[in-house]
Amino acid sequence: MVSRLKRTTLSYRQERALEKTLQNIRAQRRNRFRVLACINEDEDSLITVRFAARLAPDNDCDIIILFVRPIDQGLWSGGLQVRLARQNMLEAGLDLPGVSHLKKALEVLKEEGVDTTGWTHETAHEDAWGDPAGDNKVVYTSPDDRTVVLKLKTAPEVTNGILDQYELGPYNLMILGESSSWRGDKKSWFSKGVVERVTMLSPCSVLVARDSLDKKGFLICTDGTSRSMQAVRRAAVLAHTVGEPITLFSVAPTTAARSAADENVENAKALLKALGIAVANSRTALGAPAKRIIELGSDYKVIVVTDEGRSWWQRMWRGSVAYDVVRGARTSVLDVR
Amino acid sequence: MTAAAFSLARDSLQAHLPAQRFVRMRRHGYQRLLLLKSQINIHYFWEKKWFFIALLIGFIIINLPTPQGLTPEGQTVLAMSAVATILFITEPVPLPTVPLLIIVGEVVLLRLSPDRVAQSLMSDSVLFIMGSLMLAVAIVKQRLDRRIAWLLVQITGTNLYWISFGITMVCGALAAFVGEHTVAAMMLPVGATLITLTSTEPKKVRNVAAIILFSIAYGCSIAGIATPSGGARNAIIINYWQQFFFNPLVPESYRFLVDYVTWMVYAFPMFLLRLPIVTLLLIWTFRPETTDLSRAVARLRAQVEMQGPIKPSDWLTFALFGLTIAGWILYSGTVGLGTVAIGGALLFLVTGLVRWEDINSGVNWGVVLLYAAAVSLGVEMKDTGAAEWVANSMLSFLGSFGADRGVGLWAAVSLLTIAVSNTMTAGAAVAVFGPVVLNAAQMSNSDPLTIGFITAISSALGYLTAAAQPAFTIIYASGYLKQKDFFKIGWKMMFVSFFLLLFLAGFYWPLIADR
Repeated sequence: MVSRLKRTTLSYRQERALEKTLQNIRAQRRNRFRVLACINEDEDSLITVRFAARLAPDNDCDIIILFVRPIDQGLWSGGLQVRLARQNMLEAGLDLPGVSHLKKALEVLKEEGVDTTGWTHETAHEDAWGDPAGDNKVVYTSPDDRTVVLKLKTAPEVTNGILDQYELGPYNLMILGESSSWRGDKKSWFSKGVVERVTMLSPCSVLVARDSLDKKGFLICTDGTSRSMQAVRRAAVLAHTVGEPITLFSVAPTTAARSAADENVENAKALLKALGIAVANSRTALGAPAKRIIELGSDYKVIVVTDEGRSWWQRMWRGSVAYDVVRGARTSVLDVR
Repeated sequence: MTAAAFSLARDSLQAHLPAQRFVRMRRHGYQRLLLLKSQINIHYFWEKKWFFIALLIGFIIINLPTPQGLTPEGQTVLAMSAVATILFITEPVPLPTVPLLIIVGEVVLLRLSPDRVAQSLMSDSVLFIMGSLMLAVAIVKQRLDRRIAWLLVQITGTNLYWISFGITMVCGALAAFVGEHTVAAMMLPVGATLITLTSTEPKKVRNVAAIILFSIAYGCSIAGIATPSGGARNAIIINYWQQFFFNPLVPESYRFLVDYVTWMVYAFPMFLLRLPIVTLLLIWTFRPETTDLSRAVARLRAQVEMQGPIKPSDWLTFALFGLTIAGWILYSGTVGLGTVAIGGALLFLVTGLVRWEDINSGVNWGVVLLYAAAVSLGVEMKDTGAAEWVANSMLSFLGSFGADRGVGLWAAVSLLTIAVSNTMTAGAAVAVFGPVVLNAAQMSNSDPLTIGFITAISSALGYLTAAAQPAFTIIYASGYLKQKDFFKIGWKMMFVSFFLLLFLAGFYWPLIADR
């Protein structure tokens, strides 16, 4: 009797086989550069799709376009579940709002040169959170094994829906549109601002996209730390692959630190030279780092900053140059993690 | 390493694995991990702050010295009402939690017997709410929207202004009997179809989309007060009149047994007068990009023709629908609105026109619980004297502005109800505030019928946000409208409706008062 009640687990062999399968999937994905572009009802958010197409140009790059739909709340509709109205629309052959936006995103991808016409495609649906509309995705696969995925996800909250999606990845880059109202570190921890919370919580690099596609160049910032140099290397590879000129930049907070800033830039230049990547320009400046980066970066397509490796609490109480730049810049910012 | 050998996946931005800690939590996804973290740290208390604030306010009210004229039980009921109102407005917890709190509060704090509380939860008005929601699902499932739309455009033609007026009229005529949420859910695909058939780019026909969708929404909304079956709030007020003022031994109190036709005599003109105003305001507010919808109408006709001739099940739906309305008009006075509504839903189930699974998933049963508990609380407000005390205080306050009787009182009640209904569900607002305003009417020698009608109609005048009316929430779900669109037309409609209501109360209702 006791043995029947005993909790059973997978055998050692089964456990190993499962781990191996998961490892294989992850290994396959590790050979791909996967970009997650998040859109919402606003047409301006389609800029994330344009960035995704331009930053993931090769056949070893996959693009996943995500629309997160909050779960319907039925009580405000007088007791008739809003999902019934949505079902009515579906049965009438009309698209749900998210579906029409994802279709629009596919057209934008086509304009950017990623044409899925003729690719094989498969659809998948799963119920999510008790909502019959659930999660839906369409996977387009090219003859060269490049994939474009349109995902309509249902979640109680948009932020957590996006971060949940990361669990299904992982992804190399997450692209979000600009927030309509940025809050400070402390307030963003309490607020429901989607872009702020995703930027804070995302395990991977995040690009906050603004209207800068017609500008040129990556402004890659460094403070000389090894973490920063790693970020310089990775961002430079990306910029080089997509054909954008690179400018290196370091800010000295005080006059005494000026020479250190110059050295940082020279070291970064040398690092990139060893990789065979040309640097178009290198600059240094004196003053508050975030302010100077924002000022200079406004003429560039992307400002590249890196997280200083601080934890949640440290970022909240001590602040973060990277977050200040992400929040205050007038151009797109890539926060490399 | 040469530049040509770069691989983005290997050499550029890295895809980090999610956090290795809490492996078991990770299996359930990041979201549950955040939920666990939020339950053991201060963030939980911040997210649910209004729940704790509401409880704290309730606790403070209960422990204040009991004011003169108010019983301790009345003070407790007031505390519960305040907590419920805060929770309705701020929604820190799922809304069905509030009726559960009310039920527990009535047993634990008011020390009422559980049987008495259970009995107070179910009344004819609650049966009506349940029945009308089931009917709503049954009717929506029949997919008669396109046929109705085709009939409509055959009458109105292809001009957008006439189509808008026609949609408002048809939606209103239907919503007056089966409720605004039903008709809004049913007609939403029609509106969306007309928009998509006009242009495949929604941005180019934004104002046309707004006119069509708001025609549906306002048609439903202005008609929701026209008959008792138009909305739960109407049934609740009828219930209160009967419970508070009807005495079988007093012949003069029989006027408080408001039947279906009496309600229509009072309230239907409010719908009819606003019908043309809706279209005029829509055209004034949203200048349409085009007024010719002939292409859309032609395609709609093709779609309807492809559906084939009208089916026997459609005729049966019309018949059952007509039977239910006839039942409300002829028999609601004897068997109650609720019984007729349940009977209508029963017929749809028995004839196989709808499945129980559809009804079960389409109705939000939390709403039934919400109204049941709100009505129960409203009755306790009356029985404990809390409603009378609040009414007295309200009249003293209004008296300083000369608004404690007559038109002043009507305007004050109307404005208060409009303000509240913009922030919380109208039925619950009427359920909680109904006893107060009806008591105020009695104490100021105003007619409780007039005040009751003003309260019920005013609760349907909240037009400022997408959440203000059920029909608005449903059309907002289509994705074609923005929040600011609701405010753009809403304030105008609110203004006009308010003065129209006072006009009816001052000039029309006295003429029919002794009917």
